Amino acid sequence: MSKHHVTTVINGDPVEFLCQPNVSLLDVLRDELNMTGTKEGCGTGDCGACSVTLDGRLVCSCLVLGVEAQGKSIQTIEGMANGETLHVLQRKFLEHAALQCGICTPGFLIAARSLLERNNNPTEEEVRFWLAGNLCRCTGYNNIITAVLEAAREMRGA
Amino acid sequence: MQADIAATPVKAVKVTFTAGFSRRYTDSIREFEVQAKNIRGVIRAMNELFPGLGETLEEETSIAIDGVIHEVDYTQPVKPGSEVFFIPRIEGG
Amino acid sequence: MLTNTKDIEQVMKVVGTSPLRPDGVPKVTGQAQYGADYSLPGMLWAKVLRSPHAHARILSVDTSKAAALPGVKGIILGSDFPDHPFDYVGPERVAQNYWHMTRNIMAREKALFEGHAIAAVAATTSAIAAEAVSLIEVKYEVLQHCIDVEDAMKPDAPLLFEDMITRGVEPAPSKPSNISKRLEFSVGDIAAGFASADEVVEMSFKTAAVHQGYIEPHSCLARYGADGQCELWSASQGHFVVRAYTAKLVGMEIGNLLVHPAEIGGGFGGKTVVYVEPMAVLLSRKTGHPVKIMMSREDVFKSTGPTSGSSMTVKIGVKKDGTIVAAEGLFKFQAGAFPGSPVMNATMCAFAPYIIPNVKSVGFDVVSNRPKSAAYRAPGSPISAFAVESVLDILAKKIGMDPLKLRLKNAVKAGSPTAWGPKHSHDGYAETIQALLDHPQYNKPLGKNQGRGVASGFWFNGGGESTASVHINEDGTVVIATGSMDVGGSRASMALMAAETLGVPYESVRSTVADTASIGYNHVTGGSRVTYATGIAVVEACNKVIEDLRLRASLMWDTDIKNVVWSDGYAKPVDKSVGNFEPLSLKAIAGKRAVTGGPIGYEASTNAGGQAPGFSTQFVDVEVDPETGAVKILQFVAAQDVGRAIHRDYCAGQIVGGVVQGIGWALNEEYIYDSKGRLSNAGFLDYRIPVASDLPMIEAVLVEVPNPSHPFGVKGVGEANIVPPMAAIANAIENAIGRRMTELPMSPPRVLAAIDAG
Repeated sequence: MSKHHVTTVINGDPVEFLCQPNVSLLDVLRDELNMTGTKEGCGTGDCGACSVTLDGRLVCSCLVLGVEAQGKSIQTIEGMANGETLHVLQRKFLEHAALQCGICTPGFLIAARSLLERNNNPTEEEVRFWLAGNLCRCTGYNNIITAVLEAAREMRGA
Repeated sequence: MQADIAATPVKAVKVTFTAGFSRRYTDSIREFEVQAKNIRGVIRAMNELFPGLGETLEEETSIAIDGVIHEVDYTQPVKPGSEVFFIPRIEGG
Repeated sequence: MLTNTKDIEQVMKVVGTSPLRPDGVPKVTGQAQYGADYSLPGMLWAKVLRSPHAHARILSVDTSKAAALPGVKGIILGSDFPDHPFDYVGPERVAQNYWHMTRNIMAREKALFEGHAIAAVAATTSAIAAEAVSLIEVKYEVLQHCIDVEDAMKPDAPLLFEDMITRGVEPAPSKPSNISKRLEFSVGDIAAGFASADEVVEMSFKTAAVHQGYIEPHSCLARYGADGQCELWSASQGHFVVRAYTAKLVGMEIGNLLVHPAEIGGGFGGKTVVYVEPMAVLLSRKTGHPVKIMMSREDVFKSTGPTSGSSMTVKIGVKKDGTIVAAEGLFKFQAGAFPGSPVMNATMCAFAPYIIPNVKSVGFDVVSNRPKSAAYRAPGSPISAFAVESVLDILAKKIGMDPLKLRLKNAVKAGSPTAWGPKHSHDGYAETIQALLDHPQYNKPLGKNQGRGVASGFWFNGGGESTASVHINEDGTVVIATGSMDVGGSRASMALMAAETLGVPYESVRSTVADTASIGYNHVTGGSRVTYATGIAVVEACNKVIEDLRLRASLMWDTDIKNVVWSDGYAKPVDKSVGNFEPLSLKAIAGKRAVTGGPIGYEASTNAGGQAPGFSTQFVDVEVDPETGAVKILQFVAAQDVGRAIHRDYCAGQIVGGVVQGIGWALNEEYIYDSKGRLSNAGFLDYRIPVASDLPMIEAVLVEVPNPSHPFGVKGVGEANIVPPMAAIANAIENAIGRRMTELPMSPPRVLAAIDAG
């Protein structure tokens, strides 16, 4: 199987890579592009640790083929902070102890940002249901939910 | 000549094993009394009664001295009348 | 210390606050490197061939086609690992038998479970490695299998080991069986005890195997050099333990293996053992290239130790006034393919919270054709607690007593006896019960199909070996290093304890985890031991530094060291008579280090004892949907005696996390096998762990009854919280719909069946 040449945009930067047609976007990010911030927890789209956005849509990158990135815009955890300035969600996760081992954290941050882009004043229930596709085994979710609600509050300027 | 100071008998240290451990290593006897100032002394005394037991105690057990759990440590002091219980070593998850 | 533990009145400056953790920014920006995030030039990818059969003799393995595939650099089989004599070594509760352990890494004579590793291939790409694995031809003679513990104990059960004779039985049985061991703890006279009881309840229970469910699959990278030196990057709960196991399993000296602690994506006990590390090291040695292995999620479920499934019978007798007079427990635990279930812990913990004069607790460790069990958060205790705490609830109802008050009446404290020997040495249990009795929501009325349940739990907590080093930088900032992997914020806790001891701001302390060549031995991050034991090592190292700082100050002031005190982060003259000296900061002393003796730093190691156990008492409100059998958690309050919370948020986080794992264990999680002994639900879709939409906010109540053996009163917090939830939920369901669930998980089909059974 020969490789395809893919041109895409990742975190605002133009990126080109080669990949075989049966390789996932997750594997391309991690193994071709050395962007290991996006994690593999299951490889079958059940845990959300590999969450990225593809043209603004929240997806599991393990369920997207690398070749599908052609001509699209991808956002990963590596692009969330702005230089030294953390995104408000990243700050709130730290302030509210929303991570213990941290492996699920990149996926949660991408998913939470995606929610807040659509709904800047979610209820607790809305946050819980939006994030139901992201598994955390350490925290029991309490502090993650609090961090997202607090981030929403700050982003609204409330 | 200085008079001998009458030696007051020093209270022994009570050593206890679990039923399973005693069945395997101490002829099913669970309780012993030994003279010792520290755990090294306790182990030495038990090893004299049952040669080879000392190494088993070091490798396989933790101890509770008057209820407080410790790893086996030669220098750990024991007072006269203390109760030393050798228990299965603990591991968690 | 058979007196009530005293309250330690200490005014803390930083201990007890909740500052940001030092490894926080790397973890929220994706920079932190976990086990699968390392690469090296020239790296090979390894994939593992695993048995499709639950039980089979391995007749032949032909790797020739695989070896011929371009890009394949090396293949290993079980026979490539050195063999070990059959011998149980080490503590009985956690005895290792390397003859078993090497076969758990890779099969030799038999495949003993579906997923058992048969061979591993290293190739230039992961795709080629995967293709090579599919080209390996194995001839199996498929054998009958058994999985359920009762099935494995039957006299005609297929045997995993033809020569397994049950240990702990006198006289030893003449016939082999799958029962690896029998053990018993008893005290008093249970026949007399039950005869004196006013109410006796006996009931049997079953629980299914559940997995720790860490989101990060096992991964590592090994680089074996031509000089026999090997470096290993591995995500584990203890890189020193990884070093010891891996070195022994591949046949190399510990000193030639350097293990780097990768960040770990969850362990809960399941990463205190090795699976992929010996394979990666051996393949790297064979090929002369670095080798990376990452398990798939399916492999994690099929090939790594979940905890035991069990079959239990518990009988408890009480007097009308609630005094427990006798208790008997029979605990049969599934060990998996090799001996070593946590049944001994279960038999010891089952009745540990209660003063009971007559107890008999019997356990069986039974092998069966599923992966070897590995530790899972308070291993064994949650399982036996499900049975014991359920029976106590039934008894409370029979005598018309509030279930919390029944527990309080019999609660152990310092000086109370245990069934397995020494007396309890610490208070704390009764305080957790009282915390719930005092909770404003405990008596809140409930509605239709809603119910409230309580349960308690006990876990030993660990001490053991830890080492820490503390250095003062030239600018007066502090660096501390330990060998304890950070699973939940322990870097921050260590820094808090160091800052408090030295009297400096938390922000001036850098807290790191060092590799096996850079710090002394540290036992695993598990057993709720790190804040306790590694904390002790950190404080001792800081105290050594303080002594030296006093000496340096005395040299700077040209006075005797006894004239110098260390207070609030400064060296100060003990009084005015010493001289008119301004206090010296760390920065000031560090600036003069060269002329006063050189760099300032110390290491301290400990084999810590004196730890206190963990007690947790919890209540839960549920609502049962009578149409679907679904159980909704309305409210969950978990009180735990933590001794003293060093970092309040991370302390509470442990409690909430353990409770939620318990909720999953109670309501959904189980290993489901088909008729061929293959796992039907080897993925997160069908092995259903709790998600955010399943849960309300869980409330953690931190009870603090300090442990005088620790400089800050710490008691281990990580594990005791997972012990009560399953029974608490079963008790709540009974309260809601009048049905007693005796089998875990209490999934909707089972609850519905119980409702329909009437």
